[in-house]
Amino acid sequence: MVSAQVKIINPQGMHMRPAQLFVTKMSAFPCDVTIVFKGTAINAKSIMHLMAACMKQGSEIEVQCNGEQEEAALAAAVELIESGLGDC
Amino acid sequence: MRIVDLLSAEKIALHTPAVADKAAMIDFLVDLQDKGGCLSDKAGYKEAILAREAQTSTAIEMGIAVPHAKSDCVKAPSLAACTLTQGVDYGAMDGQPSDLFFMIAAPMDGDLHLEILSHLMVLLMDPSFTAELRGAADAAAFMAVIDRYETAKFGAPEKPETAQEPAPAAAAKSGPRIVAITACPTGIAHTYMAAEALEKKGKELGIAVKVETQGSGGAKNVLTAEEIANCDGVIIAADKEVELSRFDGKPVLRVPVSEGIHKPEELIHEAPQAPIYHHTGEKTESVTNESFGRKLYKQLMNGVSHMLPFVIGGGILMALAFLLDDPSIDYANFGMNTPVAAWLKSMGNVAFNFMLPILAGFIAMSIADRPGLMVGFAGGAIAVSGATFSSPTGTAVSAGFLGALIAGFAAGYLMLALRKVCDKLPKALEGIKPILIYPVVGLALIGLFMCLINPIVGLINTAIYSGLESMGEGSKIVLGIVLAGMMAIDMGGPFNKAAYVFGTSTLAAVSASEGSDVMAAVMMGGMVPPLAIACATFFFRNRFTNEERKSGIVSFIMGLCFITEGAIPFAAADPLRVLPACIVGSGVAGALSMAFGCALPAPHGGIFVFPVMTNVVGYLIALAVGTAVGTILLGLLKKKKS
Repeated sequence: MVSAQVKIINPQGMHMRPAQLFVTKMSAFPCDVTIVFKGTAINAKSIMHLMAACMKQGSEIEVQCNGEQEEAALAAAVELIESGLGDC
Repeated sequence: MRIVDLLSAEKIALHTPAVADKAAMIDFLVDLQDKGGCLSDKAGYKEAILAREAQTSTAIEMGIAVPHAKSDCVKAPSLAACTLTQGVDYGAMDGQPSDLFFMIAAPMDGDLHLEILSHLMVLLMDPSFTAELRGAADAAAFMAVIDRYETAKFGAPEKPETAQEPAPAAAAKSGPRIVAITACPTGIAHTYMAAEALEKKGKELGIAVKVETQGSGGAKNVLTAEEIANCDGVIIAADKEVELSRFDGKPVLRVPVSEGIHKPEELIHEAPQAPIYHHTGEKTESVTNESFGRKLYKQLMNGVSHMLPFVIGGGILMALAFLLDDPSIDYANFGMNTPVAAWLKSMGNVAFNFMLPILAGFIAMSIADRPGLMVGFAGGAIAVSGATFSSPTGTAVSAGFLGALIAGFAAGYLMLALRKVCDKLPKALEGIKPILIYPVVGLALIGLFMCLINPIVGLINTAIYSGLESMGEGSKIVLGIVLAGMMAIDMGGPFNKAAYVFGTSTLAAVSASEGSDVMAAVMMGGMVPPLAIACATFFFRNRFTNEERKSGIVSFIMGLCFITEGAIPFAAADPLRVLPACIVGSGVAGALSMAFGCALPAPHGGIFVFPVMTNVVGYLIALAVGTAVGTILLGLLKKKKS
């Protein structure tokens, strides 16, 4: 398993469009993708789970990838979040 | 923010028959959303929704779609909900048709949007929740399901009575749900504290509360007839008479202003269940369910509050007269020596001369409504003149403040009795009662009464003053302790006012140039509590909350201006520890003020009247020592905040 700490930077946080984008990108990888936020592990391939977590701008999260192509998945996830999840 | 609060029955469409396509679905949902009245521009909102859908579909998974838009066309956050008997292709990623829709309308400001989405998602993840929603028979059942799951996931609603039975009509009404009026006798501090407490609590509870303040500067944030008509309940938190005719037919909860400060939550909940108020045109009859003592206090306060501007205006002008005068010209005539001083003092005197008639007049008006005013006013003036049967033009011995109090209450109750008697008169005489019978008979009655009372009250009054005057040094100090301590006991309540009115009344008994040592001790008692608390917030920071520390400086300024009310927020938060400290501090300061022979010629003014004081150095020492004692006691008594 690989993991990385990232900060949500887009002003509106993890709302629906970023969540959709994130799930779409992550679904391309066969590994499990999990986000740990406020001590809770969230299935990062579910739009509803992502939105339910209420991650706002400035929230510190940990992305964990486990399984096939985990390195690539993690790199993609980090890049996506750090680029503002398509919002900016 | 609760999801059920954003929904209302008219924005829920259940078991809607099949819809042709996504475009038709959006039209349908926007229409539904618009029924709640939260959109300022329906077409603009639809555009925003379409623009959002053009980016990616808002259909999530499991047949659920959450079309949403954050837009300037939205006035207030709102939800609309819809279930379809047959799903429509809404472009979901999993390819499933969507049959459960929550449409969100969010205004541009704030990140409420994200929170609504988040809460909704937490609920929607539970398959039994969505199953129950899809099976709900009607809008009420639909909302009940949401409420039940929301309560389970996010805790109980803060206002169960409205959340569990969402009344569609109530939710659709706009404007404040609860309206309130706050008013206190002085109209400087309590009025606004109560208003702030009510509005703050209303915000916390998610209940729109609008508060009209009837302070010394007149009514602010005035309630409109429409707001009153649409509200669920009315709170009157007042220690003086408030005009209630406009609340006819509404549930009106009447409480002392202090309850507005201490129990805003209870009041907001109780107001809609309060008895319906029916205006009868007679204020006295509307004052029901109150103890006799409380009625008396309110009537007294009605007089005191109207009198206070006369005392302050006159007192400060007179104080300025002393400040600008040169005592060396003629000490016996101090305050009238220079033309400027003489003018100021004369103007001040004009206001002072109205003091007691105003007190008596408004006490009587509070009891007997308008017919009482003239009778009370005249009674007060007779009390001032000290008229008796033997010398009807007046005597040297004024019945003073005590006489005016008696005149006010006597006039009020005499007029009530007179009205009762006049009820027996033929109907034809109805029209001449207020313009002939009440004034003429009333004036004659109060004249007779006061000429009987005046000799007695004059004797008592003189006895008190001469008693005070003849008190030795030791008992003067006791008097200083008692009066200053009284000022700190309830900070604006009856003890405080009794001491204060007593203090102002002694101003009339002493020559203006020397001032009153009693008044000095009284003012001391009123200045120490806010000052001591302000110092304590500085020296014992860990005894106070962050908010309290920030308001310390305001309390300090209010203390310097002799506005004791500045101490109230602190005292209210921790009365058993704050009040004893303030009382002891005030008492010590009052005793020292007396011991040093400090005297004050003005009834109000705090540091602004220090220049006209006798022995101001001693007064400053007394003030500093009293404040220090109060501060240290606060530090010792108050517990550390974790």
